[in-house]
Amino acid sequence: MDPLTSEPQTAISRRPIFHVRGLTKVYGMGEAEVHALAGVDLDLYAGELAVLLGPSGSGKTTLLNNLGGLDVPTAGELRYRDFDLTTATEADLTRYRRDSVGFVFQFYNLIPSLTARENVALITEIARDPMPPETALQMVNLGARLDHFPAQLSGGEQQRVAIARAIAKRPEILLCDEPTGALDVRTGIVVLEAIERVNRELGTLTVIITHNAVMAGMADRVIHFSDGRVHHEHRNATRDPASSLNW
Amino acid sequence: MLPNLDRKLLRDLTRMKGQVVAVALVMACGLAMLVMARSLIFSLESTRQEYYEAQRFAEVFAHLKRAPNALAARLAEVPGVATAQAGISVQVTLDLVGLDEPASGQVHSLPDFGPPELNRLFLRTGTWLPPGSRGEVLVSETFAEANQLHPGDQLALLLNGRRKEYRIAGLVLSPEIIFEARPGASLPDNRTYGTFWMPYKEIATAFDLYGAFNDLTLTLAPGAQLPAVIAELDRQLEPYGGLGAYGRADHPSHIRVSDEIRILRTLSIGFPLVFLSVAAFMTNAVLSRLLTLQREQIAILKAFGFGNRQIALHYLKFAFVIVAAGTAIGAVAGVLLGHRLVVMYHLFFRFPNLHFRFDRSALGLALAVGAGAALLGVFHSVRRAARLPPAEAMRPEPPANFRPALIERTGIGQLFSHSFRIAVRNLERRPVQALFTVAGLALATGILIVPNCFRDSVGELLGFQWDVVQRQDMNLGLVEPASLQVRDLLRQLPGVLAVEPFRGAAARIRFGHRSRQIGVQGMPADTQHSRVVDAHYREIVLPPEGLVISAKLAEVLAAQVGDELTVEFLEGRRPLRVVPLVAVSEDLTGIAAHMELAALNRLLGDGDVMNGASLTIDMAHRGAFLHALKQIPRVSWVGIKESLRENFRRTTAASINLIQSIYLMFAIVVAFGVVYNNARISLAERARELATLRVIGFSEREVGAVLITELTILALIALPLGLLLGTGFAQGIVSAVNTETVRLPVIFTLHNYAFATLVVTAASTISALLVLRRLKQLNLVSALKAPE
Repeated sequence: MDPLTSEPQTAISRRPIFHVRGLTKVYGMGEAEVHALAGVDLDLYAGELAVLLGPSGSGKTTLLNNLGGLDVPTAGELRYRDFDLTTATEADLTRYRRDSVGFVFQFYNLIPSLTARENVALITEIARDPMPPETALQMVNLGARLDHFPAQLSGGEQQRVAIARAIAKRPEILLCDEPTGALDVRTGIVVLEAIERVNRELGTLTVIITHNAVMAGMADRVIHFSDGRVHHEHRNATRDPASSLNW
Repeated sequence: MLPNLDRKLLRDLTRMKGQVVAVALVMACGLAMLVMARSLIFSLESTRQEYYEAQRFAEVFAHLKRAPNALAARLAEVPGVATAQAGISVQVTLDLVGLDEPASGQVHSLPDFGPPELNRLFLRTGTWLPPGSRGEVLVSETFAEANQLHPGDQLALLLNGRRKEYRIAGLVLSPEIIFEARPGASLPDNRTYGTFWMPYKEIATAFDLYGAFNDLTLTLAPGAQLPAVIAELDRQLEPYGGLGAYGRADHPSHIRVSDEIRILRTLSIGFPLVFLSVAAFMTNAVLSRLLTLQREQIAILKAFGFGNRQIALHYLKFAFVIVAAGTAIGAVAGVLLGHRLVVMYHLFFRFPNLHFRFDRSALGLALAVGAGAALLGVFHSVRRAARLPPAEAMRPEPPANFRPALIERTGIGQLFSHSFRIAVRNLERRPVQALFTVAGLALATGILIVPNCFRDSVGELLGFQWDVVQRQDMNLGLVEPASLQVRDLLRQLPGVLAVEPFRGAAARIRFGHRSRQIGVQGMPADTQHSRVVDAHYREIVLPPEGLVISAKLAEVLAAQVGDELTVEFLEGRRPLRVVPLVAVSEDLTGIAAHMELAALNRLLGDGDVMNGASLTIDMAHRGAFLHALKQIPRVSWVGIKESLRENFRRTTAASINLIQSIYLMFAIVVAFGVVYNNARISLAERARELATLRVIGFSEREVGAVLITELTILALIALPLGLLLGTGFAQGIVSAVNTETVRLPVIFTLHNYAFATLVVTAASTISALLVLRRLKQLNLVSALKAPE
């Protein structure tokens, strides 16, 4: 296991995992030009749980997509350790996503024709150093529903399968885009607890983007985003447990 | 102004143009086949009917040795006979400048004055014979074309052994020879066989038949019973050497055209049916997909007050645009293909005016069948859309229900990869979609089997005929039976390696109440030329007594080895004999009866004679041999194996190639269209799933594998089914061709199966790759957003 990711969450390493400087992303051309990212400067460190807060349209999803290798920036620096994401080829990005990134989406995006266990196993088959799918599902408290198909699971359960799928490969980074956006409060809390536990126990750098300010309480660091750049950020002295959140 | 809902329709169509085109093309294949076959049937039937009526084609035909003209007048009084026409018809040998081999033909008489009552000729070029003309003939167009003869050219005929020069007055067509071939031959050879007409007086004098006739044709009065007329004719003609009367249904030229029409009928029903079912399903699949995509739009339209009928009509229009496109393409393709096939028919059939006639009712039928198929295809989806309550429709569809596939439940599930599991579970969840993709691919495979099977079967038939049975290089016939010494005369011709005499005698063979008229062939017991073989192609040595008949004749007579057959000879002294059936032989063309030559001569009781011979010759001396042969007036006809082979390659083989290329095109379109449609729908329905796989780290190739696995499974099921289906098609079509004239052995070769498999695999693969290229355009970011 990578020594950096196994460090406890309090000891944030000096060297950032992500190094972002002057990152811009422009969609469209001419009159229709939209600056989704307008010069983002940001460092993200191993083991920390960062919440990226901002209204819709502020560019936070674009940033997440760039961090996850789903999209390439128009200009600026974007490095994952020594890997330059701005010049990477399609094949490099695929390898990067496969080995280092876990994604959790608002709408779960499970493969409907595979059971919970198989959805996770799909990833563990191609990962370098995965955990058994059953272990990943136990981490999100789904050890009892291994052989259910997505259609047989509730929204919260589906999202927890998605988390298990994301972490089973022991990624260095876990990127969550509005993970509770489609869920009610109670199931949302259960999902956040699962994310919190993964961050704590595996030391995975976790970035959650949301427009729900309540979630800021569970973060090590809260990054406020607006108009395509980091507006300001603050660090919580202590992290509130996810179970204490309410909205 | 276009209503906005129609504008939406247009844009939807544009967006889905690939699939719309794929479905329309598959539909067009079925409709093209339908339009082509029905128009060809219409062209052939109506042209033939008009031709028969205009030229007054007879309904009953009879040949005899010789009868006084007075008899003809009496026969015209037979109840049921409307018109009777007596004339002369004889075999002649020709001497053509520039043609190596001797040619032969049939000469018919024309009334000395005025046109004939029946079987009138159609003058293509030149002039009619002037009244009282001598030394002039009319020539069949096919023969003239094959030998580049024109009106005004000279032609030497050997009439009753006397050579005489004739001037060609005109080139003509006759309803009696729409299909012109030497009697008994299954393939035409227009270069060495022709039909000629000259005035009665001239031909009667040459054959010493003046005041008599040997050929009779009749038309029937309304309501007349054909069998009764034939029976009466046979009774009255018997004393004059009657060879048995027959109706149109047994007329060699008429049969050939009817056979072709029958094959077209089979084609016009079977294939379009299958093509259209596949197209109907494809329409259904495309529309279902569209409805799923537009679930929310439908809800909004309903929320704003559009009625169920308007919504249903809107989506039906979508289907009808496809049908209209398919019908238009199908009709154009059918007409173009029909034109090409009509040109091909000119190789075999001669009409004054055979043009492609578009069967308009076929277009109506095509439109109706196409629309019916599409309606059937979309009925379910459209009803589903109309029934959807607006509030429910606005919510995204819940995740689809899946369960472990049947094959996994057998306990071997652990062996499968995830992409295989995804594939089989998807297939099992959509069995109907899978079924029709399999059906489409199987159909594409199957239709490729047919023309190749046909070609292999014809090849086998000719191989049997020309390599197994006929070891000689040529056959020749004599004008009259002659002493066996003629054999020695022939052996002295330059280049001759071996000569075997034979004798053919017209006879009616009877067993119980069944009978057939046939030429009994007498040949040496140990014949090395026209060998008689059994079902396993083993040689049968002709015994010194008894008949060997072909399996088909045995079947027709319901006779078995050991039975006593009654043989009524129709020539010479017309003896009636009882002969035991000693063996059954294999023969793929016509029906045959063989005897040892001496045994046949004993039965006929007119000495040791022959009326033809088979020869093998040294090809180095071919020219000299043929030249010498042309100088022998007693030779009435020659059949050269090599020129028959060459002629076959030029006509039948060429037409099989044309049909094969049509089927090949259809097969490619169907395989390509079915796979394209299936892959595009999978890709669209599962864009989100596939994009997710890409996002979580699967490479493009790995995601492609998920889609390909599904198609591969379908193809692996479809190909063997298709080979089976094609085998069935081919068996059905080839056996529909089987008659007493030709019995094609149904031959399936590995090459045939391999070719079909290869073509369908290649078309499917290219189609799938084309769709897979779209994986590159898969929007990864949008997959993370809310479902559409």
